[in-house]
Amino acid sequence: MNQIWIIAKLEIRRAFFSRRALWVYLLALFPAVLFFGHGVNVQYQRSEYAGKPVTPAAILDRIPTGAAESDVLAAAGQPITDRQWKRRDTQRRSLQYYDGSNRVWLEFENGALKSTRRRTLNSFEEDSKVYAGVFQFFYLRLAIFFGCLGIFINLFRGEMIDKSLHYWFLAPVRREILLLGKYCAGLIASAAIFGGGALLSFGALLAYQSSADLQSYLQSDALSHGTWYFLSAVLGCVGYGSVFLAAGLLLRNPIIPALVMLLWESINGFLPDLLQKLSVLHYLQSLCPVAPPLDPSVPPLARMILAPAAPTSAWAAITGLLAVTALVLYVASRTARRLEINYGTE
Amino acid sequence: MSSDLILFENVSKFYGEVLGVNKVDLRIPPGITSLVGPNGSGKTTLMNLMTGLVHPGSGSISVRGVSPFAPEKLMRILGYATQYDAAPRGITGFGFVLAGLLLHGLPRAEAERRAAAAIETVALTHAAQRKIAAYSKGMRQRIRLAQAIAHDPEVLVLDEPLNGLDPLVRAETIALFRDYAARGRHVILSSHVLQEVDVFSDQVILIANGMIVAEGEIRNVRDEIHEHPSQFLLHCQQPARLASLLFDQADILEAKIDPEGRGVLVMTRHRDAFAATVQRIALSGIEIDGILPMDENVDALYEYLIGGGK
Repeated sequence: MNQIWIIAKLEIRRAFFSRRALWVYLLALFPAVLFFGHGVNVQYQRSEYAGKPVTPAAILDRIPTGAAESDVLAAAGQPITDRQWKRRDTQRRSLQYYDGSNRVWLEFENGALKSTRRRTLNSFEEDSKVYAGVFQFFYLRLAIFFGCLGIFINLFRGEMIDKSLHYWFLAPVRREILLLGKYCAGLIASAAIFGGGALLSFGALLAYQSSADLQSYLQSDALSHGTWYFLSAVLGCVGYGSVFLAAGLLLRNPIIPALVMLLWESINGFLPDLLQKLSVLHYLQSLCPVAPPLDPSVPPLARMILAPAAPTSAWAAITGLLAVTALVLYVASRTARRLEINYGTE
Repeated sequence: MSSDLILFENVSKFYGEVLGVNKVDLRIPPGITSLVGPNGSGKTTLMNLMTGLVHPGSGSISVRGVSPFAPEKLMRILGYATQYDAAPRGITGFGFVLAGLLLHGLPRAEAERRAAAAIETVALTHAAQRKIAAYSKGMRQRIRLAQAIAHDPEVLVLDEPLNGLDPLVRAETIALFRDYAARGRHVILSSHVLQEVDVFSDQVILIANGMIVAEGEIRNVRDEIHEHPSQFLLHCQQPARLASLLFDQADILEAKIDPEGRGVLVMTRHRDAFAATVQRIALSGIEIDGILPMDENVDALYEYLIGGGK
């Protein structure tokens, strides 16, 4: 254990600060930046509407379709905006009101109310689902996947390219220990980067919610959801890390294992149950606390790729993922024992 | 006994279809052993096999009773300064040596003390905190040597260790090798600077095209090659008279006055008969100040055995 920790400590700086690491950080921070940007926009709109006259929702809800413009103005008062235009022979008018949390547009045709559109300044429920979608479809499938590719494949392959791997092989360390030490270094770095990224983006999601929504969420699912998102990200690093560490030992070109793995993960939903269990994503999806929305307009093929595979219970998913990781690391350690220094062919 | 030896038993290594070494049998005793051969002859392959960086396709290797397949044991008794010039990215000379010692499980304070001592031995203390990437070729050579000796190994393997060293450091390094050998340890090294290795080597292994051409003490190897005549320089004050006497002897192939005026250069196939002849001439009144073997060095052997070497 001591040697594993020494190797991890020696390697960890390289895993965090290698010249190839910048894009890993960009991938990890992208969701946080996305939700932070959305939060800034919501706050801006809130401040913009803060000084506007508020028309109680009850009044707006009572206005029937077909009501005359004059009756509406009499009931709801002066609107925030009033736009009128004519298209062909139809006189159109749009009155915008604000009920304190929603923007409401009353659409008139030839002086009679035709329809009512309502749009909330911000919906926590909607944002929560968008976050789930970003987390599963971008963060787990792409960001952590390619981030781990960048971090773990360099642990051995990068040293072969740099012609410095022999220094490790000349240490009084079993190759299996060396592999585990390097894996731990990659895992600590990737878990900190992507686990941190997950927490940061989750924090960004909560930061701009209304105090009522936030209070309610904090008292119910916030801690649980945050923990599972963090765990999913870390376990993603555990699983993908082992795969790419092994790939760095077995193959020269990282693009090939990345594409094969990406394809394998993408078609996971098509595979028989047994084969689904040989996928990292299969377990990660089962750990995500909120199901991402799938628009009905998504084509069937894309829907099958994006849809989660048959879900597994959380603890079975964790056990399964750790089992897959152990299997991959075992194969990698066998390969490491046979590995030779032959820089001439790199 | 075998626990004091480095043993190669019928070892072959191919890189794909390219021969590394073929059917090598070696018994290397403690002392300074030089691997000599042209580029691509298999010297580095032998060293890499010995240290477990490459694995034999067939045969077995034992380094003082330890298999190269057990790095956790082997690297505790072996230090290897490779020819590879690269170092882990961004590391300082001190950090480089220290990292190796920490992996030996030494407490940090002890590891730091030993790292500093090893760096001092190779005269790099002034540059210890600089990054290796900024080192000159000679400095890199020395820091690799420092890492190899830092844990005081029983077997020191050095690939071209004298390349790029200035004369002073070179002399100190050779003294270090001699000190190791004097303590019953192995020093295995390769070099293209043939005049250097024959001065301090106890053993020589000549290798060409992946095959061992000759091995043993330089003198013994030389003795095995009866058909190759030996050359000696007889120091004397009367070279012309001595040369005329030597011409008449049946065991002398050639006798000529040394162009540098030191005496007479003699070629013979029969060392014992030659020794008797010299004794007889000396007793006849010709003063002979000394006898110096002129080709009992690696260069001569190398050229003779391998043909066309340096």
